[in-house]
Amino acid sequence: MRDNTLKYLLVLPAVLVVFATAIWPLVESLRLSFTVGRLNKPNFPQGYLGFENYTWAFWEEPAFWNSVWVTGIYTVLTVALTTLLALGLAMLLAPGGRLRSGVQTLLILPFAMSPALIGVSFRFMFNPEFGLFDAFFGAVFPPLADISWLAHPQLAFAVCVMADVWGWIPFLTLVLIGGLASVPPETIEAAQVDGASGWRVFRDVTLPQLAPVLAVVIILKSIFSLKTFDQIFMLTNGGPGTATQTLSHYIYFNGMKYGQIGYSASVAWLMVIPMIFLTYAYAKFVFRKAS
Amino acid sequence: MAEVRLKNLTKRWGDFVGVDNQSLEIHDREFLVLLGPSGCGKTTTMRMIAGLEDPTDGEIWIGDRMVNDDLPKDRDVAMVFQNYGLYPHMTIFDNIAYPLKVRGTPKADIAPKVHEAAEKVELTQFLDRKPKALSGGQRQRVALARAIVRTPKVFLMDEPLSNLDAKLRVTMRAELKHLSREMKITTVYVTHDQIEAMTLADRVAVMKHGVIQQLGTPDEIYNDPANLFVAGFIGSPAMNLINGSVQDGMFVTTGGTRLVKVGIADRADVILGVRADDMNVFEPGEGDIDVTIYAFENTGESTLLTVQWGKQRVIARGSRHLRKNQDDVVGISLSPEHLYLFDPETGVRIQAE
Repeated sequence: MRDNTLKYLLVLPAVLVVFATAIWPLVESLRLSFTVGRLNKPNFPQGYLGFENYTWAFWEEPAFWNSVWVTGIYTVLTVALTTLLALGLAMLLAPGGRLRSGVQTLLILPFAMSPALIGVSFRFMFNPEFGLFDAFFGAVFPPLADISWLAHPQLAFAVCVMADVWGWIPFLTLVLIGGLASVPPETIEAAQVDGASGWRVFRDVTLPQLAPVLAVVIILKSIFSLKTFDQIFMLTNGGPGTATQTLSHYIYFNGMKYGQIGYSASVAWLMVIPMIFLTYAYAKFVFRKAS
Repeated sequence: MAEVRLKNLTKRWGDFVGVDNQSLEIHDREFLVLLGPSGCGKTTTMRMIAGLEDPTDGEIWIGDRMVNDDLPKDRDVAMVFQNYGLYPHMTIFDNIAYPLKVRGTPKADIAPKVHEAAEKVELTQFLDRKPKALSGGQRQRVALARAIVRTPKVFLMDEPLSNLDAKLRVTMRAELKHLSREMKITTVYVTHDQIEAMTLADRVAVMKHGVIQQLGTPDEIYNDPANLFVAGFIGSPAMNLINGSVQDGMFVTTGGTRLVKVGIADRADVILGVRADDMNVFEPGEGDIDVTIYAFENTGESTLLTVQWGKQRVIARGSRHLRKNQDDVVGISLSPEHLYLFDPETGVRIQAE
């Protein structure tokens, strides 16, 4: 057998698995998005509707726009906060920074937790009767005690953001530490000798050289934020009301809970659009760096 | 314009001593070279002057100010790094302009100064490029231009030529010398290359294990080495070191050959140092001693004869027209006025009485 044939044969099983578990469902969901697709009615998927599911989401469903809004704000806040805090931590933890390995290991810990677990543990921590934060505020600042954090729309949203930032900082910090390590130290020293203050060294020399890594971090985190589901599902289940209902949660609810597979497939495909842009940008940055 | 004074400067990392209680005065407008093998503390000394490294002990004075607690930006020094330390994301113009920009030079003054500095190092046609588009030698010029674009109190140069190829190093060395004589600014220059040290320096400080072995003009370092280390480190080929003893005022090799009269008291163990240039080559029988040629090398401007002398090999320099073959016998004699004697235990030079 020619090597050429053999090499395709060897890859074939992997391609088949990916095709069956990723490509086919993707195509099938696109097909379903043009159907009635009610799970709770006979003769699934009950014929084609054209773009009606899409127009329905756009013009007739405030809940869709609510989840778009929630996802947008959530993404902007979590990306900004996580990146900024991770950058600060990375500066402290990087070789030559002010903190070292013992602390480093400790700070990586949240990353070892699954997002669903983070959701559960934050739900307990914000429990108004026996939660950590209730106890903390009760001792330090009593007016803030006994607040039902997760029952208040804005507070619940803030808690979701906080849990996400908490969970993602370690990973982003690690990536940024790597990025900082690749900044040649003599460029920083040259700037110091040239007369730049600490802040100007950071702004003029460190940050521009970190920009490619920072871009990758921001794009990656945006993708992760946009598709957040498990944590929200465990922490607030989209509530109170729909105050913390992200797009993926909305899709899940409509598809799995209300049985509107056709409709939720169409919303899922709407979500694919920003994802494609981000993935494209990510690939562009990563491969530009590699080449 | 300032002198630099180091008072009992020490740098330790845990048990490792980088610089050991060194004092050094660098005069105003002087070009001082810190010379030594890698790990001798020369770069550490310079980095402490720049403020990039904190001394464990001792004082650093620039002019009449103790700068120990000053940040690098407040010390008014300019530094050229071994691997240039250029800002890769800035154009050559912005690289050179950066020290002016961060020090708040009025915008209108920046461009003429940058052009002036670029002209001095012949870089004017590259100002819009990024460092990546430049060759090693050109990058080195950018680093140099960035240092001379303003007038600092002190120039610090950390092996600035060591990343260049041999040919470029020679031209850049001459340019550096020309520039430094023109600018007349106190300069501390770190190198492990003795030729750079000899050619550029007003004074050389030879360092080893964090201690200055000898401080003096290139002439003094070459012709009057203070100890075995300096004698062996300076000069190419390295100084020949011959073990022996002194009997009746004569140096006698371990093999028992009575060689030359030396002006010191008799002693059992001594090392005789003699440079290849001070070993004169004759026809067999005409020198003090006959030896066999182990290797004959013609370098073009002279010839080098590695000869077997008892159990040792020594190198003599012959005239450029000398032609000999391996295993030929030649006569060798030593110039008595250029011999150095060292204590083999301490390495210290034994001066003739």
